This record gives sequence, structure tokens and C-alpha cells, in this order.
Amino acid sequence: MAEFESMIPVPGVKNHVFEACHHVVKALRASDNNLDANLRKLLSDLESHLSTFGIVDTKVEDTGFSEIQERFKEALKRILSWETNQSMILEAGLSEADQFFQALYEVHTVLMGFKSLPIKTSRKEKDVYNQATVALDIAMLRLEKELCDVLYQYKQHAQPEYLAVSSRGKDIVYDESFVSLDDEVVIEASSHKDDEHIAGFQNADLVDPSVLPHIKAIANAMFACEYGRAFCEAFIRVRREALDEYMFTLEMERFSCVDVLKMEWDVLNVAMRKWTRVVKIITQIYLASEKQLCEQILGDFESKSFACFIEISKDTILSLLSFGEAVALRSCQPEMLERFLSMYEGSAEILLDVDNLFPDETGSFLRMGFHELSKKLADRTTATFLKFKDAIASAESSRPFPGGGIHHLTRYVMNYLKLLPEYTDTLNSLLQNINVEDSIPEKTGQDIRPSTFSPTAKHLRSIVSVLESNLERKAQLYADESLKFIFMMNNFHYMVQKVKGSELKHLFGDEWMRKHIARYQHNVTDYERSTWSSTLALLRDNNSVSTLRERCRLFCLAFDDVYKSQTRWSVPDPELRDDLHISTSVKVVQSYRGFLGRNAARIGEKHIRYKCEDIENMLLDLFECLPSPRSLRSSRRR
Amino acid sequence: MRPAQDNQGSFLGRISIRRNQFVDVNNEQEQEDLELFQKHIADRFTELLSPPSQQPPSDETNTVASVAATDQIMSVTWLRKLMDVFLCCEAEFKAILLMGRDPTQISKPPFDRLVPEMLDRSIKALDICTAVVNGIDSVRHYQRLAEIAVAALEQRPLGDGNVRRAKRALANLVVALSLEDKENVSGGGGGGGGGNKTTERSWSFGRRSGGSSAASKGGATIGQLKSSSWSVGRNWSAAKQIHAMATNLTPPRGNEAAGLPQPMFIMSTVLVFVMWVLTAAVPCQERSGLANHLPVPPKHLNWAQSLIGIHEKIGDEWKKKEKKGSAGLMEEMTRMEKLGHSLIEFADGFHYPAEKDAAESATAQVAEMAEICRRMEEELVPLQQQIREVFHRIVRSRAEILEVLEQAGKLSAPVV
Repeated sequence: MAEFESMIPVPGVKNHVFEACHHVVKALRASDNNLDANLRKLLSDLESHLSTFGIVDTKVEDTGFSEIQERFKEALKRILSWETNQSMILEAGLSEADQFFQALYEVHTVLMGFKSLPIKTSRKEKDVYNQATVALDIAMLRLEKELCDVLYQYKQHAQPEYLAVSSRGKDIVYDESFVSLDDEVVIEASSHKDDEHIAGFQNADLVDPSVLPHIKAIANAMFACEYGRAFCEAFIRVRREALDEYMFTLEMERFSCVDVLKMEWDVLNVAMRKWTRVVKIITQIYLASEKQLCEQILGDFESKSFACFIEISKDTILSLLSFGEAVALRSCQPEMLERFLSMYEGSAEILLDVDNLFPDETGSFLRMGFHELSKKLADRTTATFLKFKDAIASAESSRPFPGGGIHHLTRYVMNYLKLLPEYTDTLNSLLQNINVEDSIPEKTGQDIRPSTFSPTAKHLRSIVSVLESNLERKAQLYADESLKFIFMMNNFHYMVQKVKGSELKHLFGDEWMRKHIARYQHNVTDYERSTWSSTLALLRDNNSVSTLRERCRLFCLAFDDVYKSQTRWSVPDPELRDDLHISTSVKVVQSYRGFLGRNAARIGEKHIRYKCEDIENMLLDLFECLPSPRSLRSSRRR
Repeated sequence: MRPAQDNQGSFLGRISIRRNQFVDVNNEQEQEDLELFQKHIADRFTELLSPPSQQPPSDETNTVASVAATDQIMSVTWLRKLMDVFLCCEAEFKAILLMGRDPTQISKPPFDRLVPEMLDRSIKALDICTAVVNGIDSVRHYQRLAEIAVAALEQRPLGDGNVRRAKRALANLVVALSLEDKENVSGGGGGGGGGNKTTERSWSFGRRSGGSSAASKGGATIGQLKSSSWSVGRNWSAAKQIHAMATNLTPPRGNEAAGLPQPMFIMSTVLVFVMWVLTAAVPCQERSGLANHLPVPPKHLNWAQSLIGIHEKIGDEWKKKEKKGSAGLMEEMTRMEKLGHSLIEFADGFHYPAEKDAAESATAQVAEMAEICRRMEEELVPLQQQIREVFHRIVRSRAEILEVLEQAGKLSAPVV
């Protein structure tokens, strides 16, 4: 569609046309003959209009009033014929549309011609002018309807894959609130950031590109006839609704601050997750595309293009900001750490996009809004991180943890930490100025990864140190010294496994790992000493205080006691349990076999309650977390 | 802020100063601060009630030059002043509450009740700010409708087509201005069902074939541009929030009246009042019943005199308007509505070519309408930004108070 503006023969306008053509020619030269399809089409449209242009121009100059009147009547007829016709002009075909614009142009010519005439005009001429104002208004109203219809009919959404809100939705562990930890069975779950696939987006066409020239022609016509405001109103209305509809599809609900502060953690968790996703999709894909659309259609009226874009997007942007602000009002619960991290990361990631979307003064409050929110979220995230640590430090128990297994706190903390390496860069920037005591002295060297002494690494190690101190305190609750060691062993082993099996290993580093492996191995030794050294001492030959028979009896009694209690203990890790079984078995069975080998004859078979195999089998029952002590005899299995 | 020594301080002598348990070491200093605070509140609201430079109320027909005093109550300029006043009061209050104070003091009774109540009010105020910012967007829509009418009526020679166009815009304008929020909001979508009054979001997905009937009929939309029926949250209601803010707001009695509870009461009263004014001024999600029920502080309190005065003025106006419906009491909107009606009258009687007399009186009205639009253009966005500023200030203050409380919690917690 040709530029409507440039067709209007008003003094002064000709110069504009001339200049514009110059520009076009220059630009074409610069484009190295590479024209895209749209541009090519535009130019050929221009050409077809130029052919009509010549005819019109000469006629206006040559003909008298009666002819103008005739042509105006024709134009009026055409315009009125569309007044009642509800279908789209666009769908009637290009030539039909052209004729409509042509008729509009005739009307406009009459109006402009009349305005430039001397004051004294005949009654007849005045009537034509008056009719022309009405015809123009009818045509403009019709174009406004056309605009809305075309925008609705040819609306497209951003790519469907962006639409799918992750059905993963929930991480089982992290929906737990921190405080409910002690009573809950914690199921381990791996978590992924669910927005990876947003990466690599492109602007989408929010309106079918093939109708853009038509919309642009409407814009040009309406602006030329001083109906630009009406165009913008209609355009904003329809596009804003499209955006609302898109938000609805993304299931982004609006919440008041009061709502957000009252919200249960699981609901909030889902909402925060959704926000992180939606804020990226909206700023990086949708609004970028919307802005492009505004520029494509209103690029010739630059300030309008931007003003429309702001009006379209403002409400949605403000609603996104206000959710972020509302969340930042909440007291930071430790379980919110990851959500805050990802919200902060998301908000920081889009800042550049937001700067591009709203580069100048008019949009500055939206731009500033995001920058402020990002800062606020950074503060909240840091505060939550520190709170997380405090919460670990102060999570006290009053009862010993049954069976000496892996404490929920250990599970929770370690699984939570596993989520954090993804945010290493973000955390580094947040934590770099916060001092922390590190359990590993800082080293450099070829075999040391720099990440091992990054702020994140230091802080994560320090969190684990806090956890360790807490576990020490929990261990003191056990009356049985041996169980204390089993408990510590289990928990340290668990920590090591979690670090080893995840990205955490690069952060925690080899030295940390060595120290902690040594630590739980030491627990194993301690356990063996504390449980078995006194018992096995009974089997040693140098003990001559009591008779052999008595020693054998005492050994079996002591063994029964161990069996009774330690079959109820728990070593959840099968490998660790096997290792423990083997090393215990090696010590105990060997000593017992030796004792029997040397002394069986003297003790007498009927006084020997357990054979070596019995001991060996029964040792396998230890740490199996059996519900109740087995009756000893029937328990022999395998 | 005015200098401390001021000639309006005569009422200070009448306030009985009693020592009580809430007044700390710097008893006298604190008393002085509290009195000064009250005095500043009184001064500021007195100025809002009757601005010093106010001209005698101008004749309505007296056109552009003397178009009412710009800072008349509820004008956009006045609302901006009100926001400034709020920010000043708030800053001063925070200084009294927090500066140099022992943190444990505000965690002890009665503050263990008063402070959380105050924080709760501030959260509700945040949502009202959000709703009002949104409401101002609607006002900007009215402004654009008026601008269309003005542009059409400024055409010379004025033809039937121009008048036709102006009338359409004006009709939409006066309807929008007289609609209560509920209808206003969902009617705004334009395209679809027109007078859709559901309270849930009404998405018009099935529009594809239907086209935009309203657009074809009316051109510009009826009501607001808001296509969602709630701007703040589902079932959120400004009226409910304001009521909730006011329920536990009672003047401190006995010993408390001379201590910190007094400025807390004053500040909360100011907060509720300012939020009430904002919801009255512009379209706001669900505000029925607010015209009648705002508890005002007892009349004998000196600092409250002018505030009560303003409240009565606005309340009377609101009650009048509530019956026939109104999008808001902003002075410019009220005038716009009046001008809109009389210009519609002009348009109805218009015959081309225009008669001289009628055209002249219309010209004056068009000029006044243009002037209103100009003022709105200049001031609505800054007002919006000020309200955002209020929002952020409330958030900051709340955070600072929470921080102090946390400190107090640590100080009073037994050392393990």
C-alpha cells in the first residue's frame, strides 16, 4: 500500500514527497540490491499507485467544480457501500481496498481544497465540504473497524513451545517448608531449572506479516486525515487485550500484596516459579515482538509507535513488577532460597532486554521498576541465604534421631545445596562482599580449580560446617557411644556422596573431600573400638582371670546385647553397610574362630552357644534397621 | 517542611504533658518532637484545606483564564500536593519512631500490638496504591477521549462530520465518567460484549468472526482500556481494605495518649485518609460504601481539624455522586463531565454552517476542555509516579521497622 500522506496535493507536501523519494533512492543504492520480499512488495505497490497518481493530479488541475463534485459523489458512494458491509475490506481483495483508499483520497482532496480556498465560497461548495467531513468520518470509522477486525483475525501467538508451562511444577523436597522437617519423611528429588528451553528465542510475529502493509495503509490514511489518535486508541485496545489473553494462557494470575503475604508456601512456590518463567517470556519474546510490531506499523510516526507500545505493555509490566515486590515483602524463609535465587537471576537476566524495550524517558519508570526490583530481590536472596544458614544452626532436636541414620536436616541441606551450583555466578556476585569462615585454607596451584575458592564455594562449605556442628550436637543426644559414631558416619558419608555425585564437587574441592572421607572412616574405627574392643578382649588368651567357659559365655552375652541393639540401627547406604559388615566380620569372626580353635575342646561343645557361622550370619543383621529385636535363634538366616 | 518555630504553635500549651512509662530517657526532647509532629500535621493539612494563594472561587462559565484555582481540592495538582504531604509526614514519623530509639522499646506492650497493626495497614495501603496507579490509567483514557473531541471541534470550518466525530467521543466520555468501577472495568475491553458485568475475567476468545461490534458502533471505547476486570487481585476490594485498615484504629487513651502511641495513631489516620482520598479520586476496584464509612478522628484533636474538614468536603461530594454513579471525584474529571454534557448539547443542536453565537460559546468550552486535557497530560503521569514513590516508601519503612524488631528480638532472646 502506498503512503497515503504523500498522495495529498497540498502546497508544501510536494516537497516532502520529493525529499522522501530522494531518501528512498539513496537507501536503495545502499542496500546492494538485496531487498527482502516485504520491501519489494511495498515498492511495487508504490509503483502501481504512482500510475494512478499522475492521472489524478492532472485532472484536479484541469477540471472545474462540477467535475470535482461528480468524483466526490462516486467516492461517497463507495465509502457508504462499505459502511454497512461488515466483512473485511482486506478480504475483498487488493483492488477493492485500493479503491476504498482512493475514494478516501478524493474526499480528503475536497476537504483540503476547500480549506485552501478564499473565504467566499458558494453555498453549493460549502455543502460539498460539509458532506465531505461526514464522508471522511464515516470512512475513518469504517477503517477503525477494519483495523480491529484485521488485528483480531490475523493475530498470532508467540511460538506454542513457549506457552507450555512446565508440568514439572513441583519439587517434592523443596515444597517442604524448612520448619516441618523433623517430622516429615523426605523424598529425594532432583530439580532442574525449568526454563532452559527458553534460551535461543527469536522475535515472533504477533500478527500475520502478510497483512502488515494493509494495517500500515490504514495507519497512514488515518494519520493523514488527523485520525491518528483514533487509530492509536483502537490499536492499543486490541493489542492490550491480546497481551492479556497471552498472560491468561500463561496462567499468570494477579495477586495483591495481602494475598502474597498470606499465601501458603506450596502455592507461593508455584507462583514464584511461574513468575520467573513468565517474566522472561514476556520481556524477551512477547514484548520484544510487540515492540517490533508497533515499529512496523507506526514506524513513520516514531513517537506514536513508542507511546502505543508503552500503553499496551504498561499494565502487564506493572502487574509483574508488583508480584515481585509483594514477594520481596515476605520474611525470608530458608526454603525460599532457591526460588529467590531464580527470581533474582531472572530479573537480572532481563535487565538488558528491559533497557532495550524502554530506552528513553517515557518508559523510564518501567525500566527503573525492574532495576529496583532486581536490587530488592538481590537483597532478599542474600538475606535468605544467610537465614538458611541460621536456620541450620538453630535447628535443634530434643530427642536422638532413631537408628543413627541420615538426619532429615542433612538430607534437606545437602539436596538443597545441590541446586545451587547452577547459580554459582549469581551467588558469587551476591556473596562476594560477605565474609565467611572457611574450613579449608585457600590455596592456589595448577590442580586447584578457581571455583573451589569462589565466594560461593566458601559460603557453601561454611553452610556445611554449620550443619556439621549441628550434627555434633545431635550426636550428643545418644546415650550409646557407638551409635553416636554410626550417626556421624552416616551423615558425613551422605554429605560426601552428595558432593561427589554433583556439581558441588568442583566447588567443595579435593581437600574438603579427603578430609570428610577421612572423617567418616575415622568414625568407623571409632565405632569398632567402642563396640567391639571390650567384647573381643574376652577372647584374648592373656586374660586368665576367669575360666574359658565363663569367657565364652560372657562373649555370647555381650554379642547378644550388641545384636539386640545394633540390628535396629540404620546404615542406609548399602555399600557403606557392606563395608562395615565386612570389616566387623573380619575382626569379630577371626577373633572368635581363633578363640574357638584354640579352646573349643577345653570349653566343651555344649557350652559353645554360637558357631563361627552363626556369628558371621548374625553380624549381617546389624544396621539393617530391623523393627524389633529378633528372637536370636530364629534369626539365623542366609 | 516549615521551620520548627512557628506562630501557629499556640495550641501546644493546651496539650497536657504527662510522664508515663512509654516516655524514655530523653523525655522532654521526645515530648517536644511529638508536639512538633502534631503541629506539622495540622499545618500541612490546613494548607491543603485552604491553600494560601487561593483565589475566590471563579465563575464556572468564566472560561480558561480563570479556570478554578489549580490547587482546588481533588484537582490533580492538589492530589500531587497530598502525596507530598504524605511523604513528609511519613518521613517525620519514621524519625520519631526509630531514630535513636532502643529497639526493645517498640517490641514491648502495647507496641507488640500497635506495631503489627500498623504494618498490616501499610500492606493494605500498598495494594491500594497499585489499584490507584491503575485507575489513573483509566483517567488517561478519558483524557484521550476528550482530546479527540477537542481536536474535532477545533476544526475550521466546522462541518457535520467533525461534530459527528466529537459527539461520539463525548458520548463515550460522559458514559465512562459516570460509570462506577464495576461496570467501568469490564466494559472497557471494547470489542466484545459491551456491558459485560461479570466480576470474573471475561476473555473474549471467540471474537474472531464476530469482529469488534463496539468499535464499529462507537469508535472509541466505552469505559476503560482495562481488559482485565481486576487490576490488583481476584476479589480484591478497595472498600474492604480501607475498612480493615480503619477497624482497629482508635485514639490512644490514658497514659498512652502522651507517648509514642499518639504519633502512631496520627500517622495511621493520615495513611488511611490519604488512601481513602485516592480511591475517591479515580476509578478503583470495588469501592462501594466508602463514601459514608470512613471513621474520622475525634473532632477535639487539634491536628485533625483540617483533615476532618477535607474529609467532610470530599465525603459530601462523594455521597452526591454515588447515587448517579461516578468514575471518580477528581476535580478535572468532574469538570470534564459537565463540559462533556454541554458540548453534546451543542453537537445535538448543530447545523452546518455553524451559528455564530452557539459556535462562540462552544469555542470557550472546547478551550476549557483542551486546558483540562493539557493539565492532565502534564500531571497524571507524575501523579502516578508519586504514588509509586509512596508505595516504595511504605515498603522501605516497613522493612526498617521489621529490622528494628528483629534486632529487638535478638536482644531480648536468652543467650544460649
